[in-house]
Amino acid sequence: MKTSVDRRAVLAGLGASASLSLLGSPIDPAAAAETINYTAWSAAVDQVQSHIHAFQKATGIAVNYSNFPGAQFRATLVTKFTSNEPLDLIWMNDAWTPEFVEAGWIAPIDDVPELMKYNDDVRKYCVDAMRYKGRQYGLVYYTDHMSFMYNKEMLEKAGFEKPPASWDEVVQQSLKLKQMGLAEFPLMLALTADAWLIEMIGPFVYSFGGTYTDQNGKSTLRDAKNGALAAATWMRDAITTHKIVSPGAVTTSEIDALKAFGAGKSAFAILPSYRIRVVNDPAQAKVAGNVRIGLMPAGTGDKAGNYTCGWVRYYGVTPHARADKNRQAAVMKLMEWFGGKIEDKYVFQKMLLLDVGVPFCTKSLMQDSDVLAFYDKWAGGEGTIVKQASLAVTKDVISPWFGEWNETNNQSWQSIFLGQSTPAAGLAATGDKWDQLKKQFG
Amino acid sequence: MARLRFALRLPSHDERNALALLAPLLIVLAVVAVFPIAYSFVTSLYDVNLARPLRRPFVGFDNYLQMLGEPRIQIALWRTAVYTFITVVGTTLAALAVALFLNETFRGRRILAILLLVPWATPSVVNGLMWKWIYDSNYGVLNGLLSALGLIDNYKIWLADPDKTLYLIANAAIWKQMPLSAILLLVTMKSISEDLYKAARVDGANVFQRFLHVTLPALRPGLMLVLVYETMISVRHFDLFMLLTQGGPGNASSTLSWQIYVETFRSLRFGTGSALAYILAFVTLILGYLMIRLGWRRGKI
Repeated sequence: MKTSVDRRAVLAGLGASASLSLLGSPIDPAAAAETINYTAWSAAVDQVQSHIHAFQKATGIAVNYSNFPGAQFRATLVTKFTSNEPLDLIWMNDAWTPEFVEAGWIAPIDDVPELMKYNDDVRKYCVDAMRYKGRQYGLVYYTDHMSFMYNKEMLEKAGFEKPPASWDEVVQQSLKLKQMGLAEFPLMLALTADAWLIEMIGPFVYSFGGTYTDQNGKSTLRDAKNGALAAATWMRDAITTHKIVSPGAVTTSEIDALKAFGAGKSAFAILPSYRIRVVNDPAQAKVAGNVRIGLMPAGTGDKAGNYTCGWVRYYGVTPHARADKNRQAAVMKLMEWFGGKIEDKYVFQKMLLLDVGVPFCTKSLMQDSDVLAFYDKWAGGEGTIVKQASLAVTKDVISPWFGEWNETNNQSWQSIFLGQSTPAAGLAATGDKWDQLKKQFG
Repeated sequence: MARLRFALRLPSHDERNALALLAPLLIVLAVVAVFPIAYSFVTSLYDVNLARPLRRPFVGFDNYLQMLGEPRIQIALWRTAVYTFITVVGTTLAALAVALFLNETFRGRRILAILLLVPWATPSVVNGLMWKWIYDSNYGVLNGLLSALGLIDNYKIWLADPDKTLYLIANAAIWKQMPLSAILLLVTMKSISEDLYKAARVDGANVFQRFLHVTLPALRPGLMLVLVYETMISVRHFDLFMLLTQGGPGNASSTLSWQIYVETFRSLRFGTGSALAYILAFVTLILGYLMIRLGWRRGKI
């Protein structure tokens, strides 16, 4: 914690001099007099507030920061845009980019060289995730992927030296863990029908070599050879046949799964990699010190591998912010303050990782000694996380109709898990909805 | 001619005063009730998707036809009917039993009648959260109780079972709604003349016969009121679905109210969402009308 305070003290000091060099141009007093509206979901609130405070002190630009629950954030933004609220800088989910661009709610930033220079130091898939129809719409806030976490101590008790390398091995190890009474449901999954579900299912679909869509954007979910079908079948069997996943998973949220895994109720869990800090923190989890990350088990089939689902969240600017020259300059400065460098240092990205465990897209930061020490302390080294990140797949369903389709998709997968529909029928239903919406949107 | 003269004449001083006094209320009503209702109907005739603000084509009644043609809405209609039936029958029977009990003379009856109102007075959200705790698979009271009684070996994951979900939600709704219905029935029971019971006893009627031939017919107005009120409430129920299951697991508890929420506030399709809301309003209206007509004919309420 002391590290954090020190960094913030340094940050405040850095602010004054940094403000003069940001984006090259001095700040117009008129811009400084206006308040920038900064809208985010409720995450890392303390870190964001302290960083805004430093920004205001350094630049004299007032920032009106407001945050809203993550689960309702998209709807909140849509409502605000529809009612013409003057938003400037917003947190964006890569899944919303096409929808928001088509609606005219976010503006490209690729004509701002001072921000584009960061692309050279950002992993390519992160840059790609912020692009739509050839334009770039933001600067990275953070990136992450679903990780396969395991309780090392529990596995050792069951006589396993290594985590499972395939989903078949997950079944074998889980059945033994069950038999030995170490866990009633050894694999913890959060399969409630919320915004997380597609990212929970993603690791299964991609590690079985599956896809949602083809190169033309048409659904592939009706294809019997698609790995998605094998993934759905495996997940259903894990719940209903092998009983290694609790049937209650369909009502379990990501936070509930985290708590249960942290309490030692299961041996394996699929969770975002940034959760490794929480589950290995003695103040927050009973199993602290025993959790490690393994590569995502591979499915069966030609295209199977240790793939997982990755995502990017980024800072986006609105047309309102870009409509006025002074406001635009102020908003771009704020965006760089968060997503770029201050005095040649990625201050906020590093703070997010060290304080909350949230990973970044910046390549050079992986050489930072504090970052390496963080991964050594909380994850037993950065090797697996870095390798898994390189095997992360961006969801192949990002489209203007994603939000609408995802409602049907969530329900179809839940129907499969509950045995209400066969994997083939469930996937066909969500595939049909995809094609129907694709046609509607032209 | 007389009617025309009436229509053309200027309002009297008293009428103008009355209108002036009523005007503020009429304006408020027009703004907060009439305009939103009219606007939502207009919205239901357009393809309004908040995520596609640049287009808003007029589609007439296509939104209604599209919604009624979708299997998920048909399923939701069926589930709404099942849920309403269970809740209305359950609430009415429980309320009748409680009213009969409280109609007897015994010590502490008044205190019991007051305590009975506690579930009804509990805010809906609190009620939902309380039942969420009761049904919880890890620390829920229901599992604890059944386990202590030796009725179950392992803790059950109640709300994840698609076959039980609707009944469990209905149970929570009955608990909340029963007290008011019981009080309504009790008031009706109190108005039944004691002479009718005396006459029945003279005729040799036993307790069940007195209930069947005296109490029940005399209760018909109260029963009709309870049935109509509970049906109106149950058809539109939303809070428990939101708090306990969010329409799941799968679509096991997806009712029409839930689908309105999903369509409007999750999919952001206000056109079809408004159409669904009008379908629900129409269903409620028809049910209410039929029940009142039926009660009028048979019971002269």
